[in-house]
Amino acid sequence: MSDSHVTDRLEVDAETQNLAVVREFLHGAIKRSMLPTSDANKVVLAVDEAVANTIQHGYEGQERGKVVVVIDADDKAFTVRVRDTGVSYDSGAGSEEKAELDLQQHIASGNKRGLGLFIMRKVMDEVRYTSREGEINELTLVKYIKATG
Amino acid sequence: MKEFEINLEQLSPDVTLIHIAGWLDAHTFEYMEQTINNLFDEGKIRLAVELSDVEYISSAGAGVFIGTLSASHERGGDIVLMNPTEPVQEVFDMLGLSQVFKFAGSPEEALSQLAAKK
Repeated sequence: MSDSHVTDRLEVDAETQNLAVVREFLHGAIKRSMLPTSDANKVVLAVDEAVANTIQHGYEGQERGKVVVVIDADDKAFTVRVRDTGVSYDSGAGSEEKAELDLQQHIASGNKRGLGLFIMRKVMDEVRYTSREGEINELTLVKYIKATG
Repeated sequence: MKEFEINLEQLSPDVTLIHIAGWLDAHTFEYMEQTINNLFDEGKIRLAVELSDVEYISSAGAGVFIGTLSASHERGGDIVLMNPTEPVQEVFDMLGLSQVFKFAGSPEEALSQLAAKK
């Protein structure tokens, strides 16, 4: 394992008040990783959107469980996996289609849905969602680390 | 620092200044949304929002402003945003909101922009 390899794991109750805890955890892991500082806030934002989606939709209509955030970073990529055991929800994250935001439509209708997914796709290089009913749902977010110099 | 705080001030008889501070995320946005809905219920439809103390905003927070823009226009009002911090500006730029909202650097400028809407 090289020095550039960073792994970490955080498990929190699926409550929105824990979003700040998740953000702090990410900032700490990013500091230890090779992710450029200029990407730090964007990656924290994208993961915050992913965890917020999981908290708000993953445990709808059932008892709130846990959300697990797993970080695996090396000199090539900063990868975050967001896991929950709630219901599989159709976030559209698994779609290969590039997100386009019809902002005028959002403003005209006052509709706010879809903004989080748009941010995730805009910021991250890969966004993948896998779900096994009754088991674990996992959203994987990857940000490539480009070689400098 | 408090996680999230909202303070209201009457800038003029018909313009309300909303000073928000802290993190505007999926945990705190409902408080912000409720505050604005209460102002609309009181007939306060011209809003200036001071953002210089907002350290973080996510799509849930940005969504409040999107909702407020259309709701204020429907009521014949308007909203002006003031002094966004760098992280807030970054999210607005990402979502294309910087081209949609009016921005002001001071209460005087906000009053002037909101008066122009009448």
